Amino acid sequence: MSTFDDYYYLGNIINPHGFKGKLNVYLDTDEPAAYDQLDALFLNIKGGLVPYFIESIKIRNQKAVLELQDVDTLEKASLLSKTEMYLPLSTLPTLEGNQFYYHEVVGFEIIDKEYGSLGAIKEVLEYPNQAVLQVFTKEKEVLIPINSGIIQKVDRSHKTIHIQAPDGLISMYLNA
Amino acid sequence: MSRSLKKGPYIDIKLEKKVLANVDSEKKTVIKTWSRASMISPDFVGQTIAVHNGNKFIPVYVTENMVGHKLGEFAPTRLFRGHAGNKNKGSK
Repeated sequence: MSTFDDYYYLGNIINPHGFKGKLNVYLDTDEPAAYDQLDALFLNIKGGLVPYFIESIKIRNQKAVLELQDVDTLEKASLLSKTEMYLPLSTLPTLEGNQFYYHEVVGFEIIDKEYGSLGAIKEVLEYPNQAVLQVFTKEKEVLIPINSGIIQKVDRSHKTIHIQAPDGLISMYLNA
Repeated sequence: MSRSLKKGPYIDIKLEKKVLANVDSEKKTVIKTWSRASMISPDFVGQTIAVHNGNKFIPVYVTENMVGHKLGEFAPTRLFRGHAGNKNKGSK
C-alpha cells in the first residue's frame, strides 16, 4: 500500500458495467481523452492505495468503461463500487506557458504589476466555475481569480507568477 | 414559484449602475456587492465582481457561461475541506 502524498485524485468508480467485471468510472479531469492509454492506476481501498493493472479503457466524455486485471466477475466489480482512483503526480504531463496544476503553484510568489510582491500562494481555492489563488499580504488574505486576463506570466524557474490584478482588487483586501 | 417574466430579471440597481459605468468607460474596476440575488446579465461579462459570502469578498470574474445565474452561486458561504479521514488526499 502507498500513501496519498505523491498522488492526485483521478476520479471514482461508479458501479459495475455488465456481468464480466467491467466498471463504469467518472474521470474528474478537464481532459479525459489524455487517459485513453492508461495502463495502471491506484485504488483507495480501506485508506491505502492499491495498484491495479488496466486491461482496457473506453472513454466517453467524462466517463469511461474500465476493465481491470483480475476483476472478472460482477461480485469483484461490485466490491470496487464508489472507490476513488488515484495516479502518481509524476505521471502528469508537463504544462508549459501560463498553464499550471493547482498543486504545482502552491508556494510560488505572486508579483503584481502595481503592488509588487504580494507573498507566496498558500492555497488554491476551488469555487464554482473558477479557482482563486489565496495569498497573505501583511497578514491580510488576498484572493486572486485565475484567468488569462490576470495571470501574465508563470515563471517556473524562479517560482513566481506575474499578475495584473484588476483595479481595486488588491486594495479592497489590504484596506479592509 | 419562479419570478414573473413580466418583471424581468432582478439586478440590484446600484450594482447595475456601477457595471454600466464600467462598461461605458471601458474600465475593469472591481465592484463590491452584497447583492447575491442579482442575476448576471450579458453586460457583466469580462467584469470582476467581488461578491460577499457573509465573511469576505470572493472575486468573481464573469464569463459568458455565467449569464443567467445569480452572483451568489459563485461565492459559496461554506467551503468544503474534505472529511477528517481524507486529509492527505492528493490534489488535481
